[in-house]
Amino acid sequence: MSMLSSFFSSPWLVFGAAILFRLALLIYGRWQDANSPIKYTDIDYLVFTDAARFVARGQSPYDRATYRYTPLLAWILIPTTWDTEAIPNHIWFDFGKVLFAAGDIATGWLIMRILVKRKDMSVQQALKYAGLWLLNPMVANISTRGSSEGLLAVLVVALVWAVLEGRIRVAGMLLGLGVHFKIYPFIYAASIWWWLGSDPVSDGADALTKTKAMFTKERTALAMHSFMTFMALNCVMYSFYGVPFIEHSYRYHFTRIDHRHNFSVYNTVLHLNSAHSADSSFKVESLAFVPQLFLSVGVIPFLLAKKDLASTMLAQTFAFVTFNKVCTSQYFLWYMVFLPFYLPLSSMLRNSRLGLTALVLWVLGQALWLQQGFELEFNGRSTFVPGLWLASMLFFGINCWILGVIVKDVGSQAGFERTIAAPEHKKDR
Amino acid sequence: MKQRITYVLPEGSRVESSDVKVDKDSLKFDRADEAAKEWRLTLALNDLPDEVREGCSWAVEHLANRSRCKQYSAIVMSFTVPLCDLLRKLLGVTAKCHSIQESFSSTPKIPERLAITTTWQYFQYAPLSSRLGEIFLSKACNTGHPDLDACAFAVRDLQRASYVEFDFEAIGRKLEFTAVWAPQGPKQNRAMARRATRMIRRPKTGERTEVGTLQVEKATEAEELSLGGFLTVIGEDDHPSKTLFSFPSRHHTLPGSSPVTFAASFQQPTGLHPKFQIKLPRQQLTPPKDTCGLHAYWTLPSALFIDRYQLSDPLFLASQNLVALHSLSGEQDLEAPNWVIEQWGSAALFELGAPPSSQIGSSTQKSDWIITIPTHLRYLAGPQKPTDTSGHASVDVPWPIVFWACEAEEGLEMSNNPFDRVDLGYDRLFGPQTTFYHIPPAPKVNTTVEEIKVPVLDSEKAEWVRAGTLIAVVAGFAWICWQLLRATSGQNFKAQKQKRK
Repeated sequence: MSMLSSFFSSPWLVFGAAILFRLALLIYGRWQDANSPIKYTDIDYLVFTDAARFVARGQSPYDRATYRYTPLLAWILIPTTWDTEAIPNHIWFDFGKVLFAAGDIATGWLIMRILVKRKDMSVQQALKYAGLWLLNPMVANISTRGSSEGLLAVLVVALVWAVLEGRIRVAGMLLGLGVHFKIYPFIYAASIWWWLGSDPVSDGADALTKTKAMFTKERTALAMHSFMTFMALNCVMYSFYGVPFIEHSYRYHFTRIDHRHNFSVYNTVLHLNSAHSADSSFKVESLAFVPQLFLSVGVIPFLLAKKDLASTMLAQTFAFVTFNKVCTSQYFLWYMVFLPFYLPLSSMLRNSRLGLTALVLWVLGQALWLQQGFELEFNGRSTFVPGLWLASMLFFGINCWILGVIVKDVGSQAGFERTIAAPEHKKDR
Repeated sequence: MKQRITYVLPEGSRVESSDVKVDKDSLKFDRADEAAKEWRLTLALNDLPDEVREGCSWAVEHLANRSRCKQYSAIVMSFTVPLCDLLRKLLGVTAKCHSIQESFSSTPKIPERLAITTTWQYFQYAPLSSRLGEIFLSKACNTGHPDLDACAFAVRDLQRASYVEFDFEAIGRKLEFTAVWAPQGPKQNRAMARRATRMIRRPKTGERTEVGTLQVEKATEAEELSLGGFLTVIGEDDHPSKTLFSFPSRHHTLPGSSPVTFAASFQQPTGLHPKFQIKLPRQQLTPPKDTCGLHAYWTLPSALFIDRYQLSDPLFLASQNLVALHSLSGEQDLEAPNWVIEQWGSAALFELGAPPSSQIGSSTQKSDWIITIPTHLRYLAGPQKPTDTSGHASVDVPWPIVFWACEAEEGLEMSNNPFDRVDLGYDRLFGPQTTFYHIPPAPKVNTTVEEIKVPVLDSEKAEWVRAGTLIAVVAGFAWICWQLLRATSGQNFKAQKQKRK
């Protein structure tokens, strides 16, 4: 065990290992792509790079079918189209994967800084928690295959860092950028809002004063900067690409109903309603957002944000993903990035049996679903009902149980994060 | 109205003048049951049956207006309604046809072809409806016809035709209707054989009826076909006139006596990603000329689709024995379920890999050469019949056409062919000077259509699913809210007081 402890006491070793791990995966990925008909590279990466090629030629990235993201992503991947003397194009092609992997490392570094500075942890302890992200094979695999989830992770952790540091205007800009990128980060506006707190009022104050106190300088700064950044980005993109930008970047994500089977508990009902539109009496599509938003934007941030911002964000994202109409394994990365902040105060760590059970059940739930999916896709058995449906219900139940544990842990925290951890804020008031 | 009937006997046979008996207004061919037959009818707009005329009138009106009208799309819109109605009448109820815009696919134009117009394509696997015969019965066999019975039989015989073609020429305002029958073969019962040799009579209205009784001759030039025998115009000739003529042809069978055929099937189990396999005999797969490429043209119903991005990687293509996907038209959405798709399906042209020349002559490689085409299934709606509880629906997929496409000899004038066929779907995808050497299918169980069983979501179990999901969501939601309140309720007041101090 002492070797493990000494490993985690050195940032150089941990970060070095994370970088080497990703480098090895990148090299292996190149070998597999060149030698096997089954590719390591994710299909999404091919979509991104195709779109970047269109942009490099001065065209719209939306000329590429199934490109449903912000043009920013195609812009930052323009280097994948370069071809220079020193570095030929087939090496430049992997630039995106390198960028995403570097994003992972940056995320890990930010996690470590936050834990050390804001949670009073020793470097060794912080590195252990950060290692959950840095040395996680699932995370490394997703980034080196070319999936862009890693970029969101940097944005979101940087957002946490900015808020905890008191840099609210920077936080606002990061939030605006995040929503432009992937839409779902808008839920963090709620938790940051409540975390910032309202101005103190005397007990006998009237309603007007109380209302005015809710809109503090910080809260207004957050709202304004995030809104301005978001709208500025939208205006720039709209001026370049017009209606297709709105269509593919935003409207598609609101109206999509992925019939193709996924983990979501609503998947079977949506499939049924779509195929047999005559008999659908229960408008699942329009009602599904009610529990999802009530939890992720309503009660969870309201009740928990002041206790611990990052853990609340975990709970919010977890609720958002669990109650969403579509759920694929890429979404799990959205909440996994917050685990290093939540685990220090988690009952799952204190009670290792609980923690292990939770982990095993979470993996088992997916495995059962995947097994039914395999039977459908490759053996042609009709496992839609009961197989896939029951498996998705079970996974949903497991996730609800885990979320219950998380909110209980965070809710039982004594005191407020802001007053305990950052006394300098008290002085500003 | 003009009629042209052609009987062709295979190479090796000979038509004698005694086989053809010509009368004042009739002709009798004794060997009609051994011959392939082509019946070509040319009708002016006014001669058409009402149902057909309506559709064609629209075409004439609007195609003529196109040169004056700048908005091309408006014209196509108004053309759509009658054409689909017409198809529904001729093909039957199941046609997935709403309008040209929605249901047809446009075939891609290639640079060598300077075609200005877009060609629209629609394909459906459906049995030839008897309606087709009935519609023409009323016109071709009108009350003035001397032998209504024979005429009626000939028209009903359309059910048995190998193919039927309508070619409408807007400028000349005429419709050319062609039907071709394969030779009947020895299995046909005597009654059928006797009826086939019945006379062809000239209609009382005196339209020109030309009958050719020919046999295949050995062609002298490469890529030409040669026919010899007798030609007769009923009413004008009192005896058949001997003839021998050659013409270049786009389509050929394979030269030599090599019995190359292909077999096709789906790998079982198909799952949601069926893999289609074309099997060819390895040893005899030699191209007819040096400039040939082996191709397959495949039309897929909308339930099945091909992912063009998957087929753009050379390593992957090589592992499936494919060379390239040269063309893909029609519905190519990778995500949509079948019930939202409005087009009939898609059409793909593949270049197939041929075995390396070292393997072709050798006797050591006995196994078949297998080419695999990966496809994907869209989600299908459940079966319509409530009694079908197997959880599967079935999709019929026709076999592709497999052929060698070769550069034609220079200077060949393909349109000189009196039996020329164009716009078959794939020929426009090649340059105009291309000849096709077809590899026939070797059908097992006498069919060239594969049936796939597709897993579907049974709507029988719908009630359970809706109720169950609702209960699960409400229960999960309530659990989380309860845990939240339990954890925060006692502390909330205390904490707020602390903050204010």
